[in-house]
Amino acid sequence: MTTPALEVAAVSRRFGGLLAVDGVTFSIAQGGLSALIGPNGAGKTTLFNAITNLFPPTSGEVRFMGRSLTGLDARRIAGLGLIRTFQTARVFPGMTVLENALAGAHMHVGATALAQMFRLPGARAEERALRDKAGALLDLIGLSAFRDAAATDLPMGAQKNLEVVRALMANPRMLLLDEPAAGLNDSETADLAALLTAIRDIGVTIMVVEHNMSLVMGIADQVIVLDAGKLVAIGAPADIQADRRVIEAYVGLED
Amino acid sequence: MTGFFQIVIGGLLQGGVFAAVALGFSLVYRVTGVVNLSQGAFCVLGAMAMYYFQVAFGWPTPIAAAASVVSVVAFGLIVGATTFVPAVAKLPVSSTLVLTAGLLTFFEGVALIVWGNQPYALPPFSGEAPVSFGALRVPSQGLWLAGGIAAMILALWFLVYRTALGRALQACAENAMAARLMGIDTPRMMLLSFGLAAAIGASSGLLVAPITSLQFDSGGFFTTSGFIAVAIGGMGSFAGSIVGGLLLGVAEQLAAYYVSSLFANTLALLLLLAMLLWRPNGMFSSGPVRRVDVRSDAVVHRALIRLPDGRLVALGLGLLVVLGVLPVLPLPNGVLSSLTISMILFIAVLGLDVLMGWAGQVSLGQAGFMAIGGYTAAILATNYDWSPLAGVAAGMALSIACALALSLVTGQLRGHYLALATLTFGLLVDSLTVGLINVTGGPSGLVGIPSFSLGSFDFDTSARMYWLALGVAAVAVFILEGGMRSQFGRALQAVRTDQLAAAALGVNVGRVKLAALCISSALASLSGSLYAFNFHFLSPEMVATPRSFEMIAMLVLGGEGTLVGGLFGALVLTMLPTLVQGLALYKTAAEGALLVATFLYLPEGLFGRFAMLLSRVGRRAAPVKGAPAP
Repeated sequence: MTTPALEVAAVSRRFGGLLAVDGVTFSIAQGGLSALIGPNGAGKTTLFNAITNLFPPTSGEVRFMGRSLTGLDARRIAGLGLIRTFQTARVFPGMTVLENALAGAHMHVGATALAQMFRLPGARAEERALRDKAGALLDLIGLSAFRDAAATDLPMGAQKNLEVVRALMANPRMLLLDEPAAGLNDSETADLAALLTAIRDIGVTIMVVEHNMSLVMGIADQVIVLDAGKLVAIGAPADIQADRRVIEAYVGLED
Repeated sequence: MTGFFQIVIGGLLQGGVFAAVALGFSLVYRVTGVVNLSQGAFCVLGAMAMYYFQVAFGWPTPIAAAASVVSVVAFGLIVGATTFVPAVAKLPVSSTLVLTAGLLTFFEGVALIVWGNQPYALPPFSGEAPVSFGALRVPSQGLWLAGGIAAMILALWFLVYRTALGRALQACAENAMAARLMGIDTPRMMLLSFGLAAAIGASSGLLVAPITSLQFDSGGFFTTSGFIAVAIGGMGSFAGSIVGGLLLGVAEQLAAYYVSSLFANTLALLLLLAMLLWRPNGMFSSGPVRRVDVRSDAVVHRALIRLPDGRLVALGLGLLVVLGVLPVLPLPNGVLSSLTISMILFIAVLGLDVLMGWAGQVSLGQAGFMAIGGYTAAILATNYDWSPLAGVAAGMALSIACALALSLVTGQLRGHYLALATLTFGLLVDSLTVGLINVTGGPSGLVGIPSFSLGSFDFDTSARMYWLALGVAAVAVFILEGGMRSQFGRALQAVRTDQLAAAALGVNVGRVKLAALCISSALASLSGSLYAFNFHFLSPEMVATPRSFEMIAMLVLGGEGTLVGGLFGALVLTMLPTLVQGLALYKTAAEGALLVATFLYLPEGLFGRFAMLLSRVGRRAAPVKGAPAP
């Protein structure tokens, strides 16, 4: 059996008196597309932040490709190939769309700062290759017409897409996307679904936090349901839709 | 033992003024989230107004004192309402901080115009005879000072904690947004805090003026001392401000007496650096740290200036040719040497642009690196017969070493504390250039510095020196432009705007900042060396902290993040006083006013605006505001 991409083992996160995430355990297979769902306040984003050590777990452990993430900072986690996006798009202001995309490739630029300054042939060739790659990805997501525009001038949905492109430029082994469909209309959501499936098909493991059920049920191969900080259910989309506990969590049915 | 207590009393009196300035800082910081660097200038303005009302008009002391406080507060309110309050609303915190440095320069300039540059002392309120307590003697003015400051502290405490107005002020301090939702007029509260701080400054200034001598630029001294006091005590904490001020005063006086008066300042600054390392939030940290970053993110939005390659090359070459032929033209007297100075300063401003404009790290200590480069190269070339080039290289190496040492302190710091640490560094270098008389020649400076030379070729005329500086600047711009248009520049900008998102992409934020600091210090050092070789003379005030503020003004006026922009800032601020004789008196005030006005009305700077007009991007950005086609 291959190592799971991500293993979350008994992770809890406490904020003062509030146990926002309570002993959650699950794992995600390599190459899978998993969705983390749950009602508002279920602790989805907290769990996300605990995985990437933005707010580290108070107890429990997260392993990525078999390696413990305990004590690693955001940069080192990114260095392992685990790249995240943020709930509200955090494109870099004061930079163009293309530059934002290129910024994602930071870890894979081999040329030193000095080589870049002196415009050495190797550095220039590398820069050209990165620009081509970023251009192709922007084209794929429908942003190539705006490559020289200020990133912050894009509508929010397009900024979130740009953030996905920026994350892809980092050659991730696994992507953690925080509500990528928030603020998108139906046709944009369909485009996003196609993009996520395509990313999964090139071998990148994906986990999304998502509210949009049609997106989740359409593309995910595993759904993880969180309610009040606890894991309620985990399984294939069809099973989850039929799961009584999930319906309870969402609709609040009582016996 | 009596001597010891005598010194402590002197220190407490001195410290009382620092505490008052620190209180002003804390008050404004609590309400606005910004440290107002112009606070110290209110002391000087208060004393200056007092001099007019009391000595020139002959008014009785109490009336003159009241009139000076009222007039300084009125002036402060006008300036605050037109500059500071709008800036807090629309600029990032770091820019507002630098804007208040501009206000400090402006106030100093106003004092220079009205008061001239000679020191003034006021007569004591109740005669010259000191008061004796057993063997201890205290100047009678000291009692006035102590009583006055104690009264101010009580009044401030009563206002903030016992009145409805004080509760409104506190609400702004806790959460400006919520305060606004509750119907509190936050801009008015900010202005009120600014006015109150002006009143505190003016009162303490006129109280201390009889026992110290003040001149137009003493405001900088009060600001830095108060800033150090507030950093020791804890930004925003009233108790911390008072304790920090008194501690600093006593420590400086003891150091002056038992060690050396030349190094009293040095010791205080070392104390502060140690404090920043050990406890960056001060002794009395005032509850939770203000969420400055959130606020910055909301307002960090800079015009996007990108020129297409072709136009950039054409512009660069055109500029180089125009600048290159200037010395051949028949220029009026003094113009060529001013051009040379502008060009040399531009090299240091270029470094500042990498650090501030691209990496977003405020530095108030750029002149410190100029001093290191200038003195190292000059001393090695003058006293040890090193070749000037080797001296320049040694200066740059030493500057980078100092930058690495400084980064041990600044590595963990952001925002105000970073600005404070760089200011401290600059002041530390200032105090060493003055204090190490055997090495630097002390206040009277270092003379007999040779011309710069390469092999047997001497750069001994203004024109040659100009071409040298132009060549160095052009090479530096070319190299930096290469870096800025590649991943290095993108990493700098990512760190400037969003460190968290940058780190999540694997950017080593600390190393990127360090690289920017090293580049910046190396260029400042190079500039300082050329400066010394150009004048054949170097004195501490040529490369002291006011120079740091001047270079920030040059950068902002020219355009941050544009590399070439700083040249236009340097040209304007250096050439104007040369071209228009009689302007020299107004230079300081104009420099401050220009910096403030640029921040408020031309945030992209002169060159930035020019490049925006020239660039395609500026025009194309607008229609994108609609939804992009899928």
